[in-house]
Amino acid sequence: MTIVVPEYLAPLIPWVRGIVGLVLIGFIFVGAMGAVWLERKLSADIQTRMGPCRVGKYGLLQLVADAIKLFTKEDLKPLNADSLLFNNANIFMLGSVFLMLVALPVGAVFINGVEYPLAVTQMDISVLYIEAVSALSIFGIFMVAYGSNNKYSLLGAFRNFARMVGYEVPLGISVISVAAMTGSLNIVDISSAQGLHWNIFLQPLGCFVFFVSLMADMGRLPFDQNESEEELIAGWITEYCGMRFGLGFFAEYIHMILGSFLVALLFLGGWNVPGFIANNSVLGLIAPTGFLIVKVVFVLMVIIGLRWAVPRFRIDQVVDLSWKKLLPLALLNLVWAVGLGLYLGA
Amino acid sequence: MVLKNIKYAIRNITRPPVTRMYPEKPSELSDRFRGLQILDKSKCIGCGICANTCPNAAIKIVKAPIAPGSSKQRWFPQIDIGHCLFCGLCIDQCPKGALSSGKEYAKGLVKWHHKDLLMTPEKLAREVDLEKGDER
Amino acid sequence: MEEQLEPNEMIVHLGPQHPMQPGPFRLNLRLKGETVVDADIELGFIHKGIEKILENKTYLQGITIVDRICYLVALVNEECFVGCTEKLLGIKPPERSQYIRVILDELTRIQSHLLGMGEFGEFIGFVSMFMYAIREREEVLGLIDMVTGARVTHSYLKFGGVRDDLPDGFKEKALSVFNNLKKSVDDFEEMFHTDRIFRERTVGVGVLTADVAKNLGVSGPVLRATGVPFDIRKNEPYLVYKDLDFKVCTETAGDCFARVQVRINEIRESIYILEQCLDQIPGGPLFPEGTMYGRRTPVMRVPAGEVFHRVEDPRGEMGMYMISDGSDKPYRVKIRGPYYPTLQALPPLIIGTTVADVASISGSMDGCTSEADR
Repeated sequence: MTIVVPEYLAPLIPWVRGIVGLVLIGFIFVGAMGAVWLERKLSADIQTRMGPCRVGKYGLLQLVADAIKLFTKEDLKPLNADSLLFNNANIFMLGSVFLMLVALPVGAVFINGVEYPLAVTQMDISVLYIEAVSALSIFGIFMVAYGSNNKYSLLGAFRNFARMVGYEVPLGISVISVAAMTGSLNIVDISSAQGLHWNIFLQPLGCFVFFVSLMADMGRLPFDQNESEEELIAGWITEYCGMRFGLGFFAEYIHMILGSFLVALLFLGGWNVPGFIANNSVLGLIAPTGFLIVKVVFVLMVIIGLRWAVPRFRIDQVVDLSWKKLLPLALLNLVWAVGLGLYLGA
Repeated sequence: MVLKNIKYAIRNITRPPVTRMYPEKPSELSDRFRGLQILDKSKCIGCGICANTCPNAAIKIVKAPIAPGSSKQRWFPQIDIGHCLFCGLCIDQCPKGALSSGKEYAKGLVKWHHKDLLMTPEKLAREVDLEKGDER
Repeated sequence: MEEQLEPNEMIVHLGPQHPMQPGPFRLNLRLKGETVVDADIELGFIHKGIEKILENKTYLQGITIVDRICYLVALVNEECFVGCTEKLLGIKPPERSQYIRVILDELTRIQSHLLGMGEFGEFIGFVSMFMYAIREREEVLGLIDMVTGARVTHSYLKFGGVRDDLPDGFKEKALSVFNNLKKSVDDFEEMFHTDRIFRERTVGVGVLTADVAKNLGVSGPVLRATGVPFDIRKNEPYLVYKDLDFKVCTETAGDCFARVQVRINEIRESIYILEQCLDQIPGGPLFPEGTMYGRRTPVMRVPAGEVFHRVEDPRGEMGMYMISDGSDKPYRVKIRGPYYPTLQALPPLIIGTTVADVASISGSMDGCTSEADR
C-alpha cells in the first residue's frame, strides 16, 4: 500500500521511519519480556509451584526487576578472551532477530474488504529471506563461545555447530514444500492462500518436521546441548555478565516468538477469518490480528511446555536424529506436497 | 514416544500449587517439633546434667532469681541459641523434667548481636517477652 | 594425567562446584573432542573429621554427631551406631522398639530413593522430574516428622529403644500416604519406560559387570543392578527383618536404566514391608525391662571390647567398627560408608564415553559426598 505524502512533509520521513522503528523494537522487547514471564509461570504450573508472585500483580513486574539487576551488574571479561569476538557477538545475535522481524507480518487489517498486512516490508521471497537470516545467530553464538577462553564454552560452541548444520536442511525443505504447494515464496501469499483449510491438515508430516527442526534451530530443550546446565555449567554463555547476557537471553526469546509466528503463518492459517468478519468494519480491524496472536500464544505455550516435560538428547543422538530420521521424512513430505499441489491446482 | 511425559505435565497444571506462602502463613509444625526450650523454675534443682549432656556445650549454669522481683537466687541453665542443635538431649536427660520443648524457632530468636542470643533463665521461663530486643 | 597432551586433547575439571554433583568432589577429565580418554577423582573437600570428633564425645552425644554423616539418611546412620553400642553393652531392645526402628528405616529408604530418582532425572536434563519426586517426598517426610519431630537430623534413637512411641493416627495417615505413593511410583515408572529420549540416554550406558563391582567393594542398588542378590537385610538380618517377607530386587543389565529400575522396585518393596510392620507391631514397653535404660540414658561405662555392625543403607552397606576401652567415650569409631567404593567405580566406567554420559552415570550412582568424606 502506498501513502502519498505532501511535499512540505517530505524532510520528516526519515524521522518518522526512525520513530516507527524504535517503537517496533520497544514492542518486541516487551513481547520478549512477556514470553519470559509466560515461561516462568507455565513451568511453575507444570511443577505445581507458584512462579513469580510478589513483584507486581501475578509477578508481571518481575522482568523489570530482572532488567534492572542485569543493567547494574559489573561487566567482567576473562583474562585472555579475544576482544574482537567477545565484544561484538551481541551484534550478530540481536541483528539476526531484528532482520527477521523486518519481513515478518505481525497481523493484518481489513478495510472495506481489502486486506492490508502489517509488515515493515513485503518481499517476494520473504520466506527464504527469513530462513537465511535466522541462521546468522549461529555466528553470534560461536563468537561468544570461542572467544571466552573457557573450556566449558568451547565444548558448547562445537556442539552448537553440529546441531545447527544438521537441522537447517530439514527446516528449509519443509518450508520449500509449503511454498511449492502454494506456488509462491511470499509469506503473505502463503498465509492468505490457506483460507480455512489450514496447511497443518494438508501436510501434517511437514508440520511435524518443521516444528522439530524449529525447536532445534532455536536451541530449546530437548536440543539445548550447547547450554546444558548440568554438564557445562552454562555452556556457551558462561562468561557473559550483566547486560551482555541479558541481550543474548532476550535474543533467544525473541527468536522463539518469531519462530511461533512462522509456525502460525505457515501452517496454522495465519490471520484468515471467515468472510462475514472480514467485511465487518469494526471486527475487520481487530479480529484478524487478534486471531493470529491467539495462535502464536498457543504455539509458544507448546514450545515452553515441551522444554519442561522431556529430558535432553546427547549430541550424537541429535545429529543422528537430523540426518537419519528427519531428512528422509522431509524429502517424503516434499514429494507429497508437490503431488498435492499439482492435484489441487489441476 | 514422549507422550506420557506430556500427559503428566498437563495433568499437573490442574493441580493446586504446593508452595507455602511464608511468612504470611506460618508453617504447620508437627506436635513433636523441637523449638526453644521452656524452663520450669519450680522443678529445676540446678544439678547441671543438661550442661554436661549438651553435645555443643551450649548450656551454662548461672545464678538467677527464682521469680521476677524476688531476691533469692538459685542456679538455672542459660542456653546459647547460636550453638544449640535443638536435639532435645537436655530435655530427655533432666532428672526432674524441668525442661520441655517450646515451638518458637524463628520469631524472637533471630538477633543481631551475640549477647542477645544467650537465652537467660528469665527468657527460657517465658517471664520476659522474647521478641523485645529484636532490633537490627 | 599430566603427561604431554596431544594437540586436540584438553583437561577439564568437573570441579568442586558444579551443578550436577551431589556434593563437592573433583573429577579431572582428559577429553579428546567430546570423548573421555582418562579420568581421575579427588575427594576430601567436605571432610569434617567425624571419626575424631566421636572420640571426644560420650556415646549419648555421639548420636547427634552420627546423624550428620549423611543428613539424608540420618536414621540409618543412627541405627548403625546404636546397634554397635548395644552389642557392646549386651542389651537388646524389645520387639516394639525394633518394629518402630524398622518402620523408620524403611521410610528413610523410600525418601532417599525418591530423591535419587529425581536427581537423576535432573542430571539428564529433565528438570521437572526433580520437582515431581520432591513433591512425593514431602508426604513421606511429613510421616517421619510426625514420629520424630524433625525432618532431618532427628536424634531419635536411644540405647535400648526409641525416644517416643508412634503417635495416634499414624497408621491411618501412613496407609493413605502409601496409596498415593503407589500410584505416583507407577506413573514415574511408566514415564521412564515409555520415554524414548530417556531410554536412549540410559540403556546401555555405563555398564558395570558383577566381577568389577565385587572387586571394588560396591554394594547397594548399584551392585544389585548387576545381578548379585546381596542385601544385608537378608544375608545378616538385624532387628526384625527375619520375621518380614520381602524379596531382594535385582536386575541383570548393569546400566543406568537398571539402577533406576532397582530403586523403583525397592520403593515398592519398602511400602510392602511397611504395611506388614504396621499390621504386626506388638504392644509392650519401649525399653528393656529391669534395666536402667530408658528415655533418660544413665551414665554409661561401656565394657571394653571391639565390635563390627553393619546395616543396609539406601546407598549400600554401612558399617561401623567400634573399639571401647571401658570409659564413657569410645576409643575409636571407624565408619565404612557406602559411597566411597561406588565413587571408585566411576573412573573406569566413564572412560570412552562422552561428557554428557558422565552426568548420566554419576547421577545414577546416587551418592552423598558428605558420607564419602566424613
